Amino acid sequence: MNKKLLSGPYLLWMIGFTIIPLALIVFYGLTDKTGAFTLSNVLAIATAEHAKALWLSLGLSLAATVICLLLAYPLAMVLRSRGVGAGSFIVFIFILPMWMNFLLRTLAWQTLLEKSGVINGILSALHLPLQHLINTPAAIILGMVYNFLPFMVLPIYNVLAKIDDNTVNAAKDLGANFWQTFWYVLLPLSVPGIISGITMVFVPALTTFVISNLLGGSKILLIGNVIEQEFTKGSNWNLGSGLSLVMMIFILISMALIAKYDKNGEGSTF
Amino acid sequence: MNQPLIDLQHISKSFDGTMVLDDLSLTVKENSFVTLLGPSGCGKTTTLRIIGGFESPDTGKVIFDGQDITNLPPNKRQLNTVFQKYALFTHMTIAENIAFGLKIKNKTKSYIDDKIKYALKLVNLDGYGNRSVDSLSGGQQQRIAIARAIVNEPRLLLLDEPLGALDLKLRQDMQYELIRLKNELGITFVYVTHDQEEALTMSDTIVVMNQGYIQQMGTPESIYNEPENAFVADFIGDSNIVPGIMLHDKLVEIFGAKFECVDKGFGINKPVDVVIRPEDIDLVEPGQGTLSGVVTHLIFKGVHYEMEVTTPDGFEWLVHSTDLFPVGKKVDIHVDPFDIQIMNKPASEDEEAIGVNE
Amino acid sequence: MGITNIPMLNADIVTGISLMLAFIAFGISLGFKTILIAHITFNIPYVILSVMPKLKQTSKITYEAAMDLGASPIYAFFKVVFPDILPGILSGFLLAFTMSLDDFIITHFTRGAGINTLSTLIYSQVRRGIQPSMYALSTIIFLTVLVLLLITNFKPPKKKVIPGMAPAGAGAAGLAGSPSGNPDWEDPNKKFQKIQRGAMTIAAVVIVAVVGLVTIKNYSITHSDELYVYNWGEYIDEEVVSMFEEETGIKVTYDMFETNEEMYPIIEAGAVRYDVVCPSDYMIQKMVENDMLAEINFENVPNISQINPVYMEMSKAFDPQNLYSVPYCWGTVGILYNSQRLEELGVEPPDSWADLWDPALSGEILMQDSVRDAFMVALKKLGYSMNTTNRDELEAAKQLLIDQKPLVQAYVIDQVRDKMLGGEAAVGVIYSGEMLYLQEEAEALELDFDLEYVLPKEGTNLWLDSWVIPQNAQNKENAEKWINFLCRPDIALRNFEYITYPTPNQGAFELLDEETQENKAVFPDLDTLDNSEVFLYLGDEEDAVYNALWKEVKSK
Repeated sequence: MNKKLLSGPYLLWMIGFTIIPLALIVFYGLTDKTGAFTLSNVLAIATAEHAKALWLSLGLSLAATVICLLLAYPLAMVLRSRGVGAGSFIVFIFILPMWMNFLLRTLAWQTLLEKSGVINGILSALHLPLQHLINTPAAIILGMVYNFLPFMVLPIYNVLAKIDDNTVNAAKDLGANFWQTFWYVLLPLSVPGIISGITMVFVPALTTFVISNLLGGSKILLIGNVIEQEFTKGSNWNLGSGLSLVMMIFILISMALIAKYDKNGEGSTF
Repeated sequence: MNQPLIDLQHISKSFDGTMVLDDLSLTVKENSFVTLLGPSGCGKTTTLRIIGGFESPDTGKVIFDGQDITNLPPNKRQLNTVFQKYALFTHMTIAENIAFGLKIKNKTKSYIDDKIKYALKLVNLDGYGNRSVDSLSGGQQQRIAIARAIVNEPRLLLLDEPLGALDLKLRQDMQYELIRLKNELGITFVYVTHDQEEALTMSDTIVVMNQGYIQQMGTPESIYNEPENAFVADFIGDSNIVPGIMLHDKLVEIFGAKFECVDKGFGINKPVDVVIRPEDIDLVEPGQGTLSGVVTHLIFKGVHYEMEVTTPDGFEWLVHSTDLFPVGKKVDIHVDPFDIQIMNKPASEDEEAIGVNE
Repeated sequence: MGITNIPMLNADIVTGISLMLAFIAFGISLGFKTILIAHITFNIPYVILSVMPKLKQTSKITYEAAMDLGASPIYAFFKVVFPDILPGILSGFLLAFTMSLDDFIITHFTRGAGINTLSTLIYSQVRRGIQPSMYALSTIIFLTVLVLLLITNFKPPKKKVIPGMAPAGAGAAGLAGSPSGNPDWEDPNKKFQKIQRGAMTIAAVVIVAVVGLVTIKNYSITHSDELYVYNWGEYIDEEVVSMFEEETGIKVTYDMFETNEEMYPIIEAGAVRYDVVCPSDYMIQKMVENDMLAEINFENVPNISQINPVYMEMSKAFDPQNLYSVPYCWGTVGILYNSQRLEELGVEPPDSWADLWDPALSGEILMQDSVRDAFMVALKKLGYSMNTTNRDELEAAKQLLIDQKPLVQAYVIDQVRDKMLGGEAAVGVIYSGEMLYLQEEAEALELDFDLEYVLPKEGTNLWLDSWVIPQNAQNKENAEKWINFLCRPDIALRNFEYITYPTPNQGAFELLDEETQENKAVFPDLDTLDNSEVFLYLGDEEDAVYNALWKEVKSK
């Protein structure tokens, strides 16, 4: 009884600033400017330009997620075998980069990739042909991978670190070689971390508008850009909310996946 | 018990500059049950891991059935391990756990199914195949871990404190279970434990280890009855270790009293350690024994009374007896000659230090 | 877990938008407190996730033991439980602090007048070029934290637990069936740990204190007289703001927007109550028609006499009776080109919009990233009015822009300036007012190329930015003081010299030297601008049509 009261302020806060705001998005998304019910804001996702932005977002964020996974898993394996202390590891891989502002970090890539940027500078010094790097989908994927990689490494590392050495040894003992041990034991046991990592990368990548703005030169319109513009420029909040609802479907799918595969919160990032 | 199956030759191993094994040599014969016994950090588990292939020795060789396997990875060795805390694969069912090693070896499905059935029956867990690991108790998980290892028909089974996490009753049951398994399968067992009772119950041969050295190796009876040094005497069972002087063959002086014994060859007037097991001390009426004292403590232990008898020099003798002598009663101590075990004084201070602590 | 995780798993943009909608719905005006609430909300899960595991590890028995020994629940909590979970609390603090510091997206949607976090400040500077001080500041923060973390994370060489050599007591623990604790904090070197914890605590306190002081210094000074100004980025000499504050004693909260379209919903929603805003012609018309502006009391703006009547006349296109607006700057839109780069590419210097469709300029074109400006270019090339509502004409313009897209390097706004100075592109669509600045800057940087400006022969956008007062302004008289102040010739001159956009202020114009007065790139003769038009507000429906077409272009 007493203890339940203690969680009261928190619950009130969460209802006030999480549940109600989300309900407002649903409300705006399902009404028009006059407040009448309509599905048109949600169905607007089917129009050519929105659908294209969504597909492009899905494509780029999927690519970024896959690349993150491919980079993060081996790194997490190495860190596991080195037995790096989780505490200091979180700090150095995860927190430290964040103290260099997110926008500046991303802008640094602009400087690197620009036509007269660092990479092309090196190429021209080597008399190699200049590359068109900035304002391409590849540049956006790079930005996503760069910014979200730690969100993939950490949960995978956390589950891997929790696997008992003897479990791995047992597999070897029973005759499994490196790849068999990886495939039959490590990989299945790290599924919660992988799912968590995928979600932690996929959701922000899917919904980003900053990275596509900075590294895509506003030429590449992602669903995040569309929504942001509906709110800050297009001044059609209903449409923006409707599109957000569509996007939230993907977020909900991610949450459901986590709930299914990571029941015990083993793969939580922190 | 004929051919040597495992032959460890001059194995040394250190971690971060700490010597864990120092020039250790050990032979395990085919079809024997060998127990490595010792306190935490004595190097017993490291020895086991070197045999299993999970650690490689800094120097020395591991010979398996005549072949040098020192550099062979664990998955290529013809032996299996039952790990501390079982190390079952929690994402697989019981049957999948047992089938793991066989699937790796590409055995046919029917062969694997037969083996699973056989193994489950062997460990008395018939019909548990489709259960999840989490649904089993500790003892059941332990049996599965054993089943998982033995279906691969290893020639050698390594067991790393397999009963450590079980409660007392279950531990005792499992001890008999292991002996039964060993006899049914005819596999060589190398068993690691810090529990002397476990070692005494199950083994053909006990290897007592401390600080990376083998202290003594022999049958349970010889280890218990004829400990070679204070460490072994103290580690195996309760004992009274007292300083004595070997006056000549078959006569030792303890606290000024002369005891007859059966040991010879220590020389004349040589300081020695004398081990006398508490149950080997007979308490008799004053004047009938060798050394006089007073009962200062009495505890009822169920099968016997545990008493402390303080002799005039201040030494407190631990005595187990089914006869009751109340506190304050004057008694004499009598020991039969063959119950007195004479040992040389420990060579190094280290050994003594450990011995006294334990 | 349930709702606990929502703010963490949810996309930042959705969290930001939902909070913004909620603040506006609840009538909380956007500002420091809304950012604070938003940050608290999205950081709660991180703290919970850091503290929860430690709390679960803390055995209930020790708490009960403390109570058994006579401690009150509160005493038991602080003396027994709290020290145990302190590491979790500290790492939760660090995590939340970091996430908050690094956040951009949520702040972007919930910030209000005059409040910028480092992130939003940087974002607002992105398009005009980041000031070096931002890099310096970020580097200092980064290094400070690095040193701090190195100190707190330095571990003394500890005895490693050797595999196979169970740490003392592990066997017993195993027997008793008690779960072994987190190895992380089982470091035997308790004393050092204490020092580390101490350092962490001190660091935490210092950070909180510094941040708190700065915040109090910035926001606690209450002014009886306030003015909320909403202006274009880089559109005033900051000295002028200080001078105004000094002369009038009014505290100015100055905020910037990037495009008219971005400004409009803010004013419309009343999320921030600005007192004086500087939109462009067509947007003023839209605001007038939607009844969003207050009539200016010109008795309070005597300096209106300094404005050249020509521009008051021009204003009538959008403010027919000169009731709502006072002209601030005017200008044209033209093409800026890098003559050396064009030579390399073998392209003639442009003189028309049509030249922006030259395939030889592939990847060399910078277009304006705003609907009306982009369509103006296409419509003018086609010879249509830039205020057309004819669907076929718009369709054709859209197609033209789509055709052009592969040639375009990027759609930008103020960045045109820096990118052209950096030699990134050969041609860019740019506001005339940037010319003087560009030429000065080119000289200062000793560029090895020339930047030239041309007014395309098809005609262009003749624009006028004017000060207006929104209906919901709370300090209308201060707003009028502000407008009057800016109309003073000496102030207008100061501003002109800083922002270099043509001033409609006759008094200021007369103070200029002859060379500048004659500079046709800056002050084109109005009669040469026959084909040029002023943007008109076309109505919400037409706006939506334009927006939809523009989105189509952008998504191709």
